[in-house]
Amino acid sequence: MASSAEPVMPGPETPVPTGQDAPLLLRLLGSPTRRRILYALLASIVLFAIGQAVRPGFASPSGIRAVLTIASFVGLVAAGQTFVILIGGIDLSVPWVLNGASILMVTSSLGSNARAIPALLLTLGMGTLVGMLNGAGIVLLGVPAVVMTLAMNGIMEGLTLGFSGGMTCAACGSYAPPVVQAAVHDSLFGIPTALLLWLVVIVLVSVVLSMTTFGRRTYAIGNSPRASFLAGVDVTTCTIGLYALSGLFSALAGIVLVGYGGQAALGMGDPYLFQSIAAVVIGGASILGGRGNYIGSAAGAISLVTLVSVLMAMNMPEYGRSIIYGVIILVLLLLYGREDAER
Amino acid sequence: MPKLSSRPPCVIELPPEPRAVSDNRRPRWVHRLAQEAGLFLAATMLGIAVILYCVVFLIAQRHLPGGFELTSTVNSTLPLVLAAVAQTLVVLTRGIDLSVGGVIDLTNGLAAITLDGSAWGHAGQPGTGSIGTMILGSLLVLAVGGVCGLINGLLVTLGRLQPILVTLATLSIFQGIAIRVLPQPGGAVPQGYTNLLANPNWPTSVLWLVALAVMWWMFRRTRFGVGVYAIGNDAAGAAAIGVPVASVRILAYVLGGVCSGAAGLFLAATATAGDATAGNTYTLTSIVAAVLGGVSLFGGRGSGIGAIFGAFVSSMIVNILFFAHIDPLYQSFYEGVFLIAAVVLVGGIGHLLRRRY
Repeated sequence: MASSAEPVMPGPETPVPTGQDAPLLLRLLGSPTRRRILYALLASIVLFAIGQAVRPGFASPSGIRAVLTIASFVGLVAAGQTFVILIGGIDLSVPWVLNGASILMVTSSLGSNARAIPALLLTLGMGTLVGMLNGAGIVLLGVPAVVMTLAMNGIMEGLTLGFSGGMTCAACGSYAPPVVQAAVHDSLFGIPTALLLWLVVIVLVSVVLSMTTFGRRTYAIGNSPRASFLAGVDVTTCTIGLYALSGLFSALAGIVLVGYGGQAALGMGDPYLFQSIAAVVIGGASILGGRGNYIGSAAGAISLVTLVSVLMAMNMPEYGRSIIYGVIILVLLLLYGREDAER
Repeated sequence: MPKLSSRPPCVIELPPEPRAVSDNRRPRWVHRLAQEAGLFLAATMLGIAVILYCVVFLIAQRHLPGGFELTSTVNSTLPLVLAAVAQTLVVLTRGIDLSVGGVIDLTNGLAAITLDGSAWGHAGQPGTGSIGTMILGSLLVLAVGGVCGLINGLLVTLGRLQPILVTLATLSIFQGIAIRVLPQPGGAVPQGYTNLLANPNWPTSVLWLVALAVMWWMFRRTRFGVGVYAIGNDAAGAAAIGVPVASVRILAYVLGGVCSGAAGLFLAATATAGDATAGNTYTLTSIVAAVLGGVSLFGGRGSGIGAIFGAFVSSMIVNILFFAHIDPLYQSFYEGVFLIAAVVLVGGIGHLLRRRY
């Protein structure tokens, strides 16, 4: 996917010698970013093999399908996170935007199919609006992204808890509309629809990032907001738009999650902050912006979720999972997340 | 380091003193105000918050807050104060430490089993440690905090990784180790230890605050302290004038880790027991307190004194919301709104003051 952009837009990735004289392997792997995607996918294959050894049936088609479905939830959040990390930002408001969206979805639809469409639009609109507010605060008020999205997370937490009365409201126990539940659980040609949705998102996001002016502007802002401003990029609108996309994807993940689980719960968004950032970084994006793509984040999400699933299949206690999780991310970072030496 | 002001005995004729420029310079107090806008604003915010607190307290309780309220506020805020100072040390070097909460988890859990000597098979009743176990336990906890900071610092400097990613990963590791150390909330902190660190009857913990402020004042005047600020402003420039960038940065993380360890100790002393998840919230609240105290997340600007103010402002907000009978469910909403407002205000006033002259 990224290859289609490279002839038009050199820059974000350091080219590796790919001419006739380069070794065959390097020619196949191309840019460092693409190599990282390959590493991430290889890691998932190895992890599936380990899982199969530990618990037979782990790498069976149904086992793989289950892992990939869970990875798709992380992947959806990581889509929004990729957009903002590409411009050197970060979205810490993911947990409560996601949680707020899932609760808004069930309380506005009250489990009826007739209300499903308005509830969907309302929820996605809420996510987008919150994202726009994030972007506006960052780019118009000059609040650092970490502070703005952290504060927004608190604001959404307060609003969610307050309006739902701490999940004690009458409508809070409602189920997601059967249509939404069915849409997440059904499968088409043997592929779960949650996965199909993710595939569509992967294609859409990749096309937006590599083939549209908006995508090219995103990379430009990530490399240098000042230079892109001088080159005529509307940095303000772009930034607000990117944060709006992040909010939209968090809300979408909330809807899919509530469709998957049936009901909303407090704290269901908490794991997704860490995992979405980790997925984006494992996928080879630079946290400083300007480098990376969504295929990488998707591969990162798959390897991350596979890792967690394998550790759980091994009956690893929670503390062990937590430690191994951190160590593996550090090892991956040391392998390829390093900055160039200053001197 | 050679003194810049002392003129070398040279024969070359020196250019005239730039008198005209210095006459046009902004007055000294405006300069200080502009430089320390965040600190002054934090102090002002604290003043307003305290007055507001007294008002809502008076309305709710029919009398003014007294010694008891002072004692309990200082005791319950001290862990946050230490966490905010830890965060400040790292943020000043243009980093960010998301592992503060993990270090507090770990040190808090460790404090609960070492202070009364139960980790060494101490035979006595739980919660009745001797002076020896208390001193040994405290030193061990602080050292563990320092080691956590050292790991972060080494990964950031020698590993050349982004601080936000390193500390996100080590947060997970430290949290895991903390649960291994103290699987269930429990343990017991000796009563004497609680009386020393967070005496519930007398506001003696104010002395710890004063000590911390004095330590910051001293730190700011050391070669190391100047180096921390220099790195935050411009790492390459700091290296060029001879600041050992790598070791100063590592030391900033280590000192931050020790402060987080101290926060874990004070938290254990206040709660008189340990909980390996009690520290989790401190990652975010320490950032909030530092930012409210005028510490710039872009590094090189702000101070630990400001962070102390910031920590008290955030705990005052909680108190005000409580006595104003605002639904605690909405608490994070108001905190979030207040955080944005404060940052915009600090940024705006600082910008105005700097542009005015």
